[in-house]
Amino acid sequence: MSSAVDTAAPSPSSAAPLLEIRDLRVKVAGQEVLRGVSLTVRAGEVHAIMGPNGSGKSTLAHVLAGRPGYDIVSGSTSFQGRDLFALAPEQRARAGLFLGFQYPVEIPGVNNAYLLKAAVNAARRERGLAELDAFEFLALVRTKIKLMQIDESFLSRGVNEGFSGGEKKRNEILQMLVLEPKLALLDETDSGLDIDALKVVANGVNTLRAADRSIVLVTHYQRMLDYVVPDFVHVLARGRIARSGDRTLALELEKRGYDWISDQVAA
Amino acid sequence: MATSTATLRSATLDRILQDYAAIAARLPDAAVPRAQRAHALAALSRLGWPRASDEQWRYTNLRAFEAVAAFRPAALAPAAPAPDVSDALELPPPLPGFQRLVYLDGVRHSAVATAGNGTGSADSASAGKDWPAEQRLGLLCDMFASDSAALRIRGSTAIELLFLTSAAAAGAGCYPRLQVTLDPDSELNLVERHLGAPAAPTLVCANVRVEVGRGARLMHYRLQQCGPQIAFADTLAAQLDEQASYSVRQVTIGAGSARTSAQVRLTGRGAAFSWQAIAVGRGQQAHDTALKVEHLAADTRTEEVFRGIADERARVAFSGHIHIGASAPGSDARQSLRGLIEGAGAEIDLRPRLEINTDEVKAQHGATTGALDENLMFYLLARGIDRTTARALLKWAFLGDVLRAIELPQVRRAAEHGAAGQLPDVMAIGALT
Repeated sequence: MSSAVDTAAPSPSSAAPLLEIRDLRVKVAGQEVLRGVSLTVRAGEVHAIMGPNGSGKSTLAHVLAGRPGYDIVSGSTSFQGRDLFALAPEQRARAGLFLGFQYPVEIPGVNNAYLLKAAVNAARRERGLAELDAFEFLALVRTKIKLMQIDESFLSRGVNEGFSGGEKKRNEILQMLVLEPKLALLDETDSGLDIDALKVVANGVNTLRAADRSIVLVTHYQRMLDYVVPDFVHVLARGRIARSGDRTLALELEKRGYDWISDQVAA
Repeated sequence: MATSTATLRSATLDRILQDYAAIAARLPDAAVPRAQRAHALAALSRLGWPRASDEQWRYTNLRAFEAVAAFRPAALAPAAPAPDVSDALELPPPLPGFQRLVYLDGVRHSAVATAGNGTGSADSASAGKDWPAEQRLGLLCDMFASDSAALRIRGSTAIELLFLTSAAAAGAGCYPRLQVTLDPDSELNLVERHLGAPAAPTLVCANVRVEVGRGARLMHYRLQQCGPQIAFADTLAAQLDEQASYSVRQVTIGAGSARTSAQVRLTGRGAAFSWQAIAVGRGQQAHDTALKVEHLAADTRTEEVFRGIADERARVAFSGHIHIGASAPGSDARQSLRGLIEGAGAEIDLRPRLEINTDEVKAQHGATTGALDENLMFYLLARGIDRTTARALLKWAFLGDVLRAIELPQVRRAAEHGAAGQLPDVMAIGALT
């Protein structure tokens, strides 16, 4: 990593990089929001990206997922060895990149079951696997629904239609569990959750942890990290990774806030 | 006034007057009294044929109406008994629990069973009632109608009206005419469907008058699925008494050119009106709706929802005018109009208008026209859904508000299949529920 590294940062594993970001610079409406981000995420690792409001955390997640409206000025990003920015958003998703939205949209008129089935089968086609039929899909989704403590009737409801904030976040994690991505980018999934919902969501995230998958948690607070323990913690400040460390860095941030790091970057 | 009348004369109006003069003696009094026909003739002569320069008619494809060879009615008397009307047209399956009435080219088809409860020929209740300028095509129906359906409802019932236009009607006019009266505390589920695809320009010009008595409830499903050669004019007038409820679910997907002109008067305290409609146009279709609702009593309510999609070079327009009078404190009016432009040459025009003349009212309106929501699109793409499927899903979702408000499953399915038929990409992905 090109940014400052805390002495407490654990040694990276020997696994191959799943995601490799090199000196990424991104502008939004002419203003540079990411100013040289470098980050390597290897298979099996859980990374937490923390930072104050406006530091560029969500921008990073959305740029990686392919949201339009961002101007990539320079830098490179590879995902499983492929140039990520050469892929359309839907191709990134099918390749195994999942974005859990901070503010999941409501789509009345498109029911959850239809969306999930279409998404699962799109990914399976990409991998050369046979599509799931209705029965196979239902069997798959039922086990995940139980885990997320969601009522099965929700499958016939519109996507996030009338859901509470907590239900929307559970639905995001349910989608993630059904799609079984290689890399999950969870953008402030913990925001707006009460403690019970946070535990359910964290349990869902932990279920996905595996040697061949990675998770990147974008969060403002460390409380999610009590339940999903990260291997690495990075602090994004003023558009660049200002400090990296292990989970103790998150605890330090909880005590000291972000100003001291932001000040260091400014200096 | 001779000069102004002369200036309003047009070639189309002259043709209408000539056609009427040629056939007037043969038009049945039982359908429309002679005096009322004459009254309509005089009113249309005074108002003139509508012109595109008139704001009220700007989005109506008047040329499609003018292209009809003759305004005379295609049929003058009830059709001769036929073994099965489906010989001429493929009829939709019957609705369970509904009495079915079939009108072929504007006249009752005698081979089909009639509804037993409260039907009959038109009475003269509507005689002398004028259609205002923005509803003047209703005058054509009053002039030329060769039959009329009158439903007087006591108790609770369900009726399906099929208005069919046959191939034999090509080049002429069909004039469905319907009068619905609900006695106090009665209830009616009414399905009104317009079908048929003649091979040449044909006029279908329908009049519907509705009176909903005190505490009565009318659920009115309206499906217009005519073929592309039909110029369709639909004129509706409704009046609601105290605590009456009138709900319209309208689906406009057919006809080369369609114009709905509706006026609803809430005259009784606590009356409630709901209009939820979709229009889906493609090719060179023009769908134009002008709806005016007048709140004339206290605590009256209006809910107005319109969703329009214009694909290819289609034009879809909706004008929603809600007037809350000084005599209507406590009124509640909500209006949500949304248009989706899908084709490079397509056009949507939404005109919300709230006119409030009293205090203590709740009113809200919103009108948006544009392309598909990019946030929704990105959400679907981020789940791996391909762009074509995502677009189709979002188009379908756009119509969802109204389609889900169609409570009767059979009618909802018919509406969904009709709407999806206008949206080939939706049909291709099988998004229908």
